[in-house]
Amino acid sequence: MRYPWQASDWQRLAANFERLPNAWLLSGPAGIGKREFAQEVARSLLCEAPQADHHACGQCQACHWFAAGNHPDLRVLTPHGDDEEAEDGKEAKAPKRKLPVIKIDGVRNVIEFAHLSAHRGGRRVVIVEPAEALNPAAANALLKVLEEPPAEVVFLLVSDAPQRLLPTIKSRCRQFPLSLPSAAQALAWVNEQGVEDAEAELAFHGGMPLFEHDAAEAALRKQFVSGLTECSMGSVLSLADAVDKQKVALELPLRWLGKWLHDLAALRLGGAVRYFPAQQAAMQRLLPRLNIHALMDCQRELTALAPYGQHTLVTRLQLEALLMNYLKAFAGKPT
Amino acid sequence: MTYQVLARKWRPKRFADLVGQEHVVRALSNALKESRLHHAYLLTGTRGVGKTTIARILAKSLNCETGTTAEPCGVCQACTQIDAGRFVDLLEIDAASNTGIDNIREVLENAQYTPTMGRFKVYIIDEVHMLSKSAFNAMLKTLEEPPAHVKFILATTDPQKVPVTVLSRCLQFSLRNMTPQQVAGHLAHVLDTEGVSFEAPALALLGRAAAGSMRDALSLLDQAIAYGVGDVREDGVRAMLGAVDQRYLFALLEALADADGARLMQEVEALVARGIGFDSALAELAMLLHQLALAQTVPDAIAADEPERDALFALALRLGAEDVQLYYQIALHGRRDLALAPDEHAGFSMTMLRMLAFHPAQGGAEVAPRAAAQNRPAPGAPQPAANLAPAAAAPSPARALLANIGGKSAVTPPAAAEPLPAAETEPEPAPAAALAVAPPAADTAPLPPADLAPWHEAPVAPSAAATAPMLAVSEEVDAADTVDDEMVELPAAGDADGELAEYALLQAEADATPAEPAVIAFDGDWSALIGQLGAKMGAARMLAQNAALKLWDGEVFHLAVPEAFRNMAGRDFQDKLRTVLGEHLGRAVQISVSIETLDVETPAMRDARFKREQLAEARLIMQNDKVVQQLVQEMGATLLAETIQPVQE
Ligand SMILES: [Zn+2]
Ligand SMILES: [Zn+2]
Repeated sequence: MRYPWQASDWQRLAANFERLPNAWLLSGPAGIGKREFAQEVARSLLCEAPQADHHACGQCQACHWFAAGNHPDLRVLTPHGDDEEAEDGKEAKAPKRKLPVIKIDGVRNVIEFAHLSAHRGGRRVVIVEPAEALNPAAANALLKVLEEPPAEVVFLLVSDAPQRLLPTIKSRCRQFPLSLPSAAQALAWVNEQGVEDAEAELAFHGGMPLFEHDAAEAALRKQFVSGLTECSMGSVLSLADAVDKQKVALELPLRWLGKWLHDLAALRLGGAVRYFPAQQAAMQRLLPRLNIHALMDCQRELTALAPYGQHTLVTRLQLEALLMNYLKAFAGKPT
Repeated sequence: MTYQVLARKWRPKRFADLVGQEHVVRALSNALKESRLHHAYLLTGTRGVGKTTIARILAKSLNCETGTTAEPCGVCQACTQIDAGRFVDLLEIDAASNTGIDNIREVLENAQYTPTMGRFKVYIIDEVHMLSKSAFNAMLKTLEEPPAHVKFILATTDPQKVPVTVLSRCLQFSLRNMTPQQVAGHLAHVLDTEGVSFEAPALALLGRAAAGSMRDALSLLDQAIAYGVGDVREDGVRAMLGAVDQRYLFALLEALADADGARLMQEVEALVARGIGFDSALAELAMLLHQLALAQTVPDAIAADEPERDALFALALRLGAEDVQLYYQIALHGRRDLALAPDEHAGFSMTMLRMLAFHPAQGGAEVAPRAAAQNRPAPGAPQPAANLAPAAAAPSPARALLANIGGKSAVTPPAAAEPLPAAETEPEPAPAAALAVAPPAADTAPLPPADLAPWHEAPVAPSAAATAPMLAVSEEVDAADTVDDEMVELPAAGDADGELAEYALLQAEADATPAEPAVIAFDGDWSALIGQLGAKMGAARMLAQNAALKLWDGEVFHLAVPEAFRNMAGRDFQDKLRTVLGEHLGRAVQISVSIETLDVETPAMRDARFKREQLAEARLIMQNDKVVQQLVQEMGATLLAETIQPVQE
């Protein structure tokens, strides 16, 4: 499917359909529908009777297969959720992080697939998503086929963080940055999904409409934020407690606090907020006590903790220490 | 039909069509003319400069039916089949997808048979750095004594990963990066031939953006043609390339110079709207700040034809030299931490807010460390250990602080040293304490002159923390000798402290008179070696500290640097390091630096580990101290374990 805000992207693509390269890099922030766009491009490339605007017909055998998720000329290369991480023993000790990677075996399968003859129509499509998940061996193994694929093989790489791709990969792709939705488009979309508090949720997700909505998580976040607003020893301690009880990974409260600190700093220095517009007035009341330099310190502490965001161990201690730091940003004499 | 991308369509088929590799072409042509053929060649260079292309042309030269020649005919069966990729005696192996020993063995077994059609069996092994160790070993034997009819052409972007035993059996050619002018010139030729109209400045922009790679340039050109729908115009290319256009960055810095936060945030939004990547924006911003510092200190270093020259000098007048330094640091750190931010937008705009927060108009100057502490750090004194996440065994800091509330004594916040998250690629929680990012170059580095920099004379907060173990107790007690009674209430250390302190240390080290120039034979202990060299390396020490020595062959130091420290591996630091090492060892040495994931400890990682160990030990000592225990038990004191710092000499 294609989202409403991708109409111009589609036109941009369609206008150049005769010059379609064999390797694309679709990029843009998370939550704007890159994967779906790639799927749509793939569907159109494989369709046997595409429409004038190059959209797939939805009727032909290829479209039926595609809809059923078993088109034989499409491969989607994504990280496997398999657990056997520690291949070389020395990494076994390291705290386990859920960093999904695409390994070389997957790439080898894709290379084999690219050299097979097609089932239908002659075209074959490979989607790699997210491309930054390719580990170094896998990325290197992809280079050759990416540069000189067999005729009629198209690669669609999808990435939130193209700067993390090997330069040799990027060098072989045509970059295609996807458009962001306008504020109105994004809000309309979120409303359609029946998300409660759509406006606030959308703002918290930076205006990117395709977030996974989890009501329990949103409730916990609300509680967290109100504790931050109250900004007392008791309130922040109960936050650490609440988070601990829910057994969420440190990552979540770090993200909440990170955005909260951003907004406090942005409000103090720039007069506007981004993630918590509903709390702007409450933040405003905190400003007179705010020491901006101490806030920056707290933010740095937070960044230092970020690599351990997947831990569920000692979340409480870490969080308490961090929240103490947060309080210090308000400890100064009122100015 | 899929369209054949320009990079593929325009892959040169003759040496004469190659751009920018004349030195290699000349050497190969002469060798071919005089039939002085080596049995194995290694072509190295960055992406898209022509390694595979040269390998294929060489294969034609060796097998052209008109005879071994530097100008293969291009029409005979051998030439056409090689061009079409189906010549039986040319075996092109992609080492990256065939890394295993089985593949290599199969290929090598094949090598003993005489060629079917041509004069030579040619093996092109691309991305050869990806071969496994055992595959390299299997190859070695054939490389040592190849049959006369076999030629190997190896190609790699990363020769550091190729074993010396293999390297030494190959005739090596290093391909050069292409200059923006060479690239633009070639693009013009391509577009003329393709019948696509263009504006010359657009090609100059593409030439710059290609960063030395013709394939990048041609990929970008494809994108530009698509973007302009068949035309290549300057404004279109500008918009397409985004961050390479410095105008947005100037707008950001002007808002900063005016301390206008609202406008700053608007400029951030404008950047987003243009689809500019935050990562490249921060990289470009750091480069611009470097330019600004140069404009302030060495105006002559700014080229007369620098496109934004006027804007640069106007801005240089409006920003303080120290501010520029500080912003540079913040930009580098901000970029490094981008992946750790809640989202990249927050990471980027927080970086800009941090700059603003330390703007003089925001009281940044008052917070500067000059006010902070008392004693000057000894030159070369190790920096305080990073403020680590509290250990599980530590008492809850919350309880500790609660215990303090209402108490008279000042709670001394630990002066935060640079908290350093482990690099994203490195799962070990090993925050390197010396993650200081040095100014770009030792000699041309825009370090403010000492007499203009008050913070240089002044001691810095973190060092005070490092020299005084701190103990916060709930009552005012005489905490024996373990507590420095000069304990002062330090302002919380901000970026200004941490980052300026790093400068102060660097500067102090650079100023220190060089110590005994004893010549010591190098025994392979990299950490020890750079420990000895110390201040002599100046800012290049940052490179040395964050590099692991992979190999020392008596002539070349093969260093590996993790991705996170890429920006320290610049030419100037390498040159400086080479000079210092050469002087120290009493002979010329070479340095080669590769960016890769490390499996060896760098000196900085080792220092960080030592500091962690010291810290753990110091905490243990404090916790087990009789006096402290007595205080805790009898007077209700609480030991703030995380504030304890080991004493540094
Ligand atoms: Zn169809
Ligand atoms: Zn020929």
